[in-house]
Amino acid sequence: MTLAAPLFLLAAGLVALATVAAHLLAWRRPSAVPLPTARFAPERPARVVSRAVRPTDLALLAFRVALVMLVGIALARPTFTSARQGTARVVVVDRSRSAGDGFAVAESARAVFRPGDAVVVFDSIASEIPDAMVDAITPMRAGDSTSRARGSLSAGLVVAVRAAERLSRERDSVEIVVVSPVTADEIDAATGVVRARWAGPVRVIRPTLAPADTAAASRVAVRAPSNDPVAAALSLVGPVVGGSDVRVVRDETTVDDSAWVRTGGTLVVWPADPDAHGWSRRVARDTAFAVASSIGLVGYTRFDEGAAVVAPFERVAVPPGEGVVARWSDGEVAAADHALGDGCIRSIGVVVPVAGDLALTSAFRQFARRMVSSCNAPTVLARVADSVVARVLLTAPRRGDVPSPTASDTSPGPGSRLVPWLLGAALVLAVLELFVRRGESHAAA
Amino acid sequence: MPDERSGPSRVESRGSLLDAVRGVKWPTLRPVAGAMPGAHHSRLRGAAPELSEYRAYRQGDEPRRIDWRLLARSDRAYIRLAEDRSIVPTIMVVDATASMAFPSDSLAKWRLACDVAIGLAAIAHTARDPVGLIIAGGRGVRHLPPRTRRGIVGELVRALEATRPEGTARITSALVGVRYRSRIAIVSDFLGDAAEVRRRAGEIAAAGGEVHAIHIVADEELDPPARAVLAVDPEDDSIARPFVGDARAAYLTSFAAWRTAVAAAWRGDGLTYTQAVTAEPPSRVVRRVAGAGVGAAARARVEAR
Repeated sequence: MTLAAPLFLLAAGLVALATVAAHLLAWRRPSAVPLPTARFAPERPARVVSRAVRPTDLALLAFRVALVMLVGIALARPTFTSARQGTARVVVVDRSRSAGDGFAVAESARAVFRPGDAVVVFDSIASEIPDAMVDAITPMRAGDSTSRARGSLSAGLVVAVRAAERLSRERDSVEIVVVSPVTADEIDAATGVVRARWAGPVRVIRPTLAPADTAAASRVAVRAPSNDPVAAALSLVGPVVGGSDVRVVRDETTVDDSAWVRTGGTLVVWPADPDAHGWSRRVARDTAFAVASSIGLVGYTRFDEGAAVVAPFERVAVPPGEGVVARWSDGEVAAADHALGDGCIRSIGVVVPVAGDLALTSAFRQFARRMVSSCNAPTVLARVADSVVARVLLTAPRRGDVPSPTASDTSPGPGSRLVPWLLGAALVLAVLELFVRRGESHAAA
Repeated sequence: MPDERSGPSRVESRGSLLDAVRGVKWPTLRPVAGAMPGAHHSRLRGAAPELSEYRAYRQGDEPRRIDWRLLARSDRAYIRLAEDRSIVPTIMVVDATASMAFPSDSLAKWRLACDVAIGLAAIAHTARDPVGLIIAGGRGVRHLPPRTRRGIVGELVRALEATRPEGTARITSALVGVRYRSRIAIVSDFLGDAAEVRRRAGEIAAAGGEVHAIHIVADEELDPPARAVLAVDPEDDSIARPFVGDARAAYLTSFAAWRTAVAAAWRGDGLTYTQAVTAEPPSRVVRRVAGAGVGAAARARVEAR
């Protein structure tokens, strides 16, 4: 048994001793002697304080001492915990789309799991498997070969930290083991903050990414006039994932293009002359645009799944579509997809100047590579660098960085549930003491 | 009755008490109006054989009282005066309430009251005065009418020895029916109906009687125990006062003030008051009571002339 506030118990002991002492100094009637002239003494209560060899009113004394001690024990908040022994782990298992088919993640998780460990699974949400056993770590749900949900390592860490704090009351040390490829879309700005809430060690096991991450790549087909800057940029890009299903059209589209799209292809309409397509131009030139999706900052490290290009571009309004692929700096749509049959048509309203070497720059090539990705190609999830993982997850927070315990941290433990019972018993004793005191007063009268 | 008191001042048996007061005179405060011949000066001047003085005849004097021989020798008319002596009934009124049974082990207050009453009765009886006794106690009032017979003092002794002080009683009621022209000695602690007793005594004195108040006070009342005790009035259990802290000092102050007030009240009413403490030998108390009468009688004779 441990006491959260042992000083209260000490104070209760002192009060109990004072109570016993008070019973040794009991008020009592002095011995009566006849005195015919007693009437000349002043009228006063016929009681005096006198010392007694034995405590008086033993029943009352017992009630009072018990009452004081119960209140003291209750305020000391005793907790009954088993002896801490061994180490424990909180295994955080990734079940998001980043884990691919999940077999590699499940195998890695099984390898580190030991009986008594906690298991937390997460994709976009996280939950702890109660009374987890090794069989509970399965690759995926039955009939679902791949989870398409985006993973959130922050959500997984929140539940894992909570489980780790619970286990820390029972074990000598607790370690959080994250079993995940740790792709870029799984880390957000909250991940480091959540990690900082746990002062213990965190280990990351990064299994090999799912095969979809390494899908076959090929060059895209480009139909463009000679000396076209986009064609030149794409020729430098090289193979892209699902490139065989992508056709880039810099001139006018044909019926054959539409039919090809309906069979599942991706037609990238990126006209060299927007006027020929009836797209309206803006007079003022813009300076920057970027691929809208998958750009984020983790700490101060920029990890790049998209691209941003800064140059004096001419903006063209693109036909509306279901999905935005790129935006201008002010948020206007720069490229959009709209489905057609099994494929899609991607309209890009970025006029690439013929003159100059803008199309040959690395930034533009990256942008062009993103623009020619297939609509139906599996998502390419980039593993973040090990240095990022080490900075975000493996670095233990400094002592001052650990936030103060939250309400959940100070929630009563198993032993603290005794407190209301102890206070209730003290209340009952107080009522009984009242009755006993009244009874003895009547008897004395 | 064996004397159980201890201490040199208290070793005084009943016999030694009577020996100690033998020869003590207890004259009345004023000449008495009685006609029966006795030891006390009478207000009557008459034909007693003992010549007192001559006085010039005044109109209205009885011609028989003219000393004719003196008239013949001196040709002046004088009448012959002689002092008459008379008796006075003396009644001892003894308080036998519970407050007199104090201290409970020695009953010193009661014993002193009995001794003083017996001593005074013996003196009075020696002067051939009728002696009577009234005992006012919890069991009622017992009367022994004044008598002059030889064994009356012994009867008083037996009556007092047969009495145990207890209960409460009104001494005033014991004084009802007392002849006014008597000498009354009230032996009490005056913790009961003291004011009414004094008023009744004043009435008796105004009617020609004589009242002596002998106030019995115990040593323990003057010096109560210093330890913490709860003093309970034996006549009234509802009076219970703790002697703690400064209560004792307050008690001593209050008790002394009360005794002073009682004495002043009795003396202010023309009555004699004597305080008797249990530490004092009874014979000395008897002498003090009788001495008050001696001085007053001398003054009264001078005033009568």
